[in-house]
Amino acid sequence: MSNVIEIQNLTRKYGKGVAEVIAVNQLSLNIEYGEFTAIIGPSGSGKSTLLNLIGGLDNSDEGQILLAGNNLASMSGKKMSDFRRDHIGFIFQAYNLIPVLSAAENIEYIMLLQGISNAERSKRVEEMLHLVGLEGLGNRRPSELSGGQQQRVAVARAMASEPEIILADEPTANLDSKTGASLLDMMKGLNEEKEVTFVFSTHDEMIMKRAKRLIHLRDGSIERDESNTNA
Amino acid sequence: MLMIRQAWRNIFRNIRRTVLTCTLIASSLVVIILVDSIINSMAGLMVKGITETIEGEAQIYHSGFRDQFDPELYISDPKSIISKLDSDDEIKTYASRVIVPSMIGSSYNSDGVILYGVDAEKELNTSRLQSAVIEGDYLTGSDRELILGRLIAEKLEVGIGDRIVITSSEINTNQMIQELFRVSGIVQFGPKELDEGFAFINLSTAQRMFNIGEGVHQIAIRFNNPELANSPDLDIYKTLPSDTLEAKGWLALQPGLGAILEMTGLSTLIMGVMLFILASLGVVNSIFMSIYERTYELAVSKAIGTRPSGIASLVLLEGLFLALISCFFGIIITFILGIFLQENGLPLGHMEFSGVAFPDNLPVKLTLDQFVNFPFYVVLLTLVAAIYPAIFAARIIPAQAVQKAL
Repeated sequence: MSNVIEIQNLTRKYGKGVAEVIAVNQLSLNIEYGEFTAIIGPSGSGKSTLLNLIGGLDNSDEGQILLAGNNLASMSGKKMSDFRRDHIGFIFQAYNLIPVLSAAENIEYIMLLQGISNAERSKRVEEMLHLVGLEGLGNRRPSELSGGQQQRVAVARAMASEPEIILADEPTANLDSKTGASLLDMMKGLNEEKEVTFVFSTHDEMIMKRAKRLIHLRDGSIERDESNTNA
Repeated sequence: MLMIRQAWRNIFRNIRRTVLTCTLIASSLVVIILVDSIINSMAGLMVKGITETIEGEAQIYHSGFRDQFDPELYISDPKSIISKLDSDDEIKTYASRVIVPSMIGSSYNSDGVILYGVDAEKELNTSRLQSAVIEGDYLTGSDRELILGRLIAEKLEVGIGDRIVITSSEINTNQMIQELFRVSGIVQFGPKELDEGFAFINLSTAQRMFNIGEGVHQIAIRFNNPELANSPDLDIYKTLPSDTLEAKGWLALQPGLGAILEMTGLSTLIMGVMLFILASLGVVNSIFMSIYERTYELAVSKAIGTRPSGIASLVLLEGLFLALISCFFGIIITFILGIFLQENGLPLGHMEFSGVAFPDNLPVKLTLDQFVNFPFYVVLLTLVAAIYPAIFAARIIPAQAVQKAL
């Protein structure tokens, strides 16, 4: 299996002089297509920074990231936006749906950016709503949905653009354990069924148990990289 | 379409802010349209006051007459001019006049006046002389009748039927002449300058009195389309003037009025710019508040693949909607106020400016182009005001915004 993510000697620093913090320190990592990986570690270990760097939301100070064979450092703002749109799905801790758009419109939004035809968008919105178990709720605004339902819409939105990789930053942090487990089962199902690569940044025990690979970070470096045979 | 829906709905996320911003923009629109209407109405009244009272929309006179006001500079043979005027389709009416500075005296007092010899019939459609008669009768063509301005009549302490002596000098010989008249009418034009300095007798009487045959000093003209009066392409301006004749429209005759009109246009522009700058600051503030409130949301939009131009377009669309909503209500409010002011006028009290007396209630006239041009400028300037916040929003760095929001 080939690598969807190849990271070499990645470093990201914040601040200057005595206030300098090395969030990610000379980190190298490969993730293959179809993996269900969790990046774990204590607060401040660099999980979210690493996820932001992989997602092209932040720029590294040293090293390089190849995502689906593309060097992120070589991309300008517009090209980077298009690349994220077409290759990466994001799921955030606080759902982050656009509140003035309905669930269906939130899912449709990214496809609109991709220039997908109206008919195709409508078809895929229905498919996605079905996939995340929200049939019939497409017209509801985020404020009319529960936290779990909103996060399902966020997953559907991330899946709608048919990305190679989905980056999920603490996706279950704001959910109760039952809803979180249900959401996780759904994402695991999508990973197995659609072979989408999932990379989580998390503290959640449930995700750690289900992830096939656990990457332990400490002070911006990989402390341990292990396969989870029980997942 | 989705972006349009999103922008439209974003406008109503904070209704109080939207209402305040729209009120600011709409108020500016209402004020600028009404101020423009009032200024236009005053300017229109000034032009009408000057052209319709006595001056006419254009004049033909002997070269140098208006500058020197020398009675010897008269048109000795106006027949050929009159035949041209009669055959010109653009000309609605005209009136020939003899104009001589004279002394006017009664049993009680005397003063200097500008004595006008006028063609009573022609003046009916050329000036407001007949409609300005407040006492007695308009000229009938009788040899000894004279119309006086109200203020000079008061000064001379004369009324209808009283005797008046005009003293002047014959134009060609400079011999002193005196003629006796009886006051047949008293006029009130409004401007003090006219009411205390003018007297009117019949044209034929004046021609005989000053011994100038059929000569006249001035032919005042009015056009079927008054807008044409200042067009240099008119036949009468191109063909009539010669070494001895001049023909000019009211703007050339009254350059001071032209300057005033130009100044009123400039003052409207300055006021409009100031109002719209203030409104624009309100728009910028409102949009920035809206952006700050949803920095995280915009950052996420950017993270999932919205281009910076897409974010900027969204903000600009919101500015556009703010402007359109404001214009909609601004136009309705202006229309209602405009109808009221058109029917009732604007109560300014008695006012006289540049020789023109304004009515106590100034009639305010709104025009269609004000409802098209000004809203267009408002939309344009609101969009311009929204550019800076739009660029700011487009430059949001997703990772930083997400960290700050968390």
